[in-house]
Amino acid sequence: MALIRIEHVDKSFASRHGTIAIMQDITFDVKDADFVAIVGPSGCGKSTLLRLIQGLDRPTAGSISFRGQPVAGVCTQMAMVFQSFALYPWLTVSQNVAFGLEALDWPKEKIGSQVERYVSVTGLDGFQEAYPRELSGGMRQRVGLARALAVEPAVLLMDEPFSALDALTAESLREEILQLWRDPALPPEAVILVTHNIEEAIQLADRVIVLSRRPGHVLEAIDVDLPRPRDRKSTPFYDLTDRIYSLITQGGMAGPPVPAAETKSP
Amino acid sequence: MPTIFPKSSPTELLGLLVLLNGHKGSEDVARLADDLDLEIDEIFPSLEYAELLQFVKVVDGRASFTELGQKLVAGSIRERKAILRDQIKRTTLFKTILRALENAPNHELSDDDLAQIVSLTTAAADEAVQNIVNWGRYAELFRYDAEAHRLILSKPAATTRSGSGRSPPSSGATPPGPSGGSRKASSPPSEYRGTGVVPAFA
Repeated sequence: MALIRIEHVDKSFASRHGTIAIMQDITFDVKDADFVAIVGPSGCGKSTLLRLIQGLDRPTAGSISFRGQPVAGVCTQMAMVFQSFALYPWLTVSQNVAFGLEALDWPKEKIGSQVERYVSVTGLDGFQEAYPRELSGGMRQRVGLARALAVEPAVLLMDEPFSALDALTAESLREEILQLWRDPALPPEAVILVTHNIEEAIQLADRVIVLSRRPGHVLEAIDVDLPRPRDRKSTPFYDLTDRIYSLITQGGMAGPPVPAAETKSP
Repeated sequence: MPTIFPKSSPTELLGLLVLLNGHKGSEDVARLADDLDLEIDEIFPSLEYAELLQFVKVVDGRASFTELGQKLVAGSIRERKAILRDQIKRTTLFKTILRALENAPNHELSDDDLAQIVSLTTAAADEAVQNIVNWGRYAELFRYDAEAHRLILSKPAATTRSGSGRSPPSSGATPPGPSGGSRKASSPPSEYRGTGVVPAFA
């Protein structure tokens, strides 16, 4: 049984000028221990799709199920990591990590030990009392990651998590995500990564779902069968990049394509 | 180890090592930079620091892992942190800071004291203090109270995990007193040339 099954999902929004279709007929599965990347041009509904999967929003048509059950309401077996880190500036690192657990009404002692565990797992030991403003971008995203992992989600949803970081910091965190995902003692089982960076998708994922421009539909689901760590300058890597890039551009880009390891300063 | 101002963050430094690992542990520096579409000088601070901490050797423009560097990238997030901590503790800068903390009342220093230890220019002091606090926290050598602007020696429990965290540094370094005036008033020492290298204390 698939961990997540997305079947014929449509999403549209009503506007003054009529209905705007964001995505149409999206179908794919996420298996146990899968690392899936979703790529596509700006506006193709990548981030909206993540929200639908977690149950933060509902599809207009079609269905999404998690372990055979339809996703109705926010699924607590999934947690999200955001591009903007989404940390509370007035809370310390530990308090930010505890935040999601408090929402789940965990007992206080259990929250304490859980926070300690995930602060440590993500390399944040020593920063427990620090406020987000005192942290570098890389450390801030580690807090975002620790907060998501602390609820021990089966699925980690990542919405452009590395695009606000400088290139070396992103390189380090990408590799750490792989470490966590591959460790059977730690969550998550599966990762769904949304990115506009084709190389990043190929570097990390087992499978890349390529979406068209709006209304987004699946152009192709491409298996990435390269050993890790993946050499971005190798021929098979380059061929895959080229193939996905061609798919997206043929599918029509809304904006200028971003083929390479694009990053910007925080 | 000589004293150098860490111009890269722990995560950036790790990023460089992960990048080199992706090139099987040895690569021309120019190609490493090119791999991430960076200019070569954008990876220099991390490379310089990686070399200083003995994770990497650069010969004729080619960077290669040392045995320690190899060990670090093979480790988990926590193991990497422990190796970084051991290396950081051996730098003259952190030895000096730790010694000053050992000798300070309540094992606490203000960030003005830290700025004086670092003896950087007025312009660079804030950045330097923030960066050093970041590394010290990452390596769990000391805590920092941002509201009181105090540097506090980590509890013995936190340092015993890593081994000899509280052992005094090797002889020769004279710890500056924690009495420190404002860093705004400190003048740049003559040996500082703005290259990222701070004067050695040993």
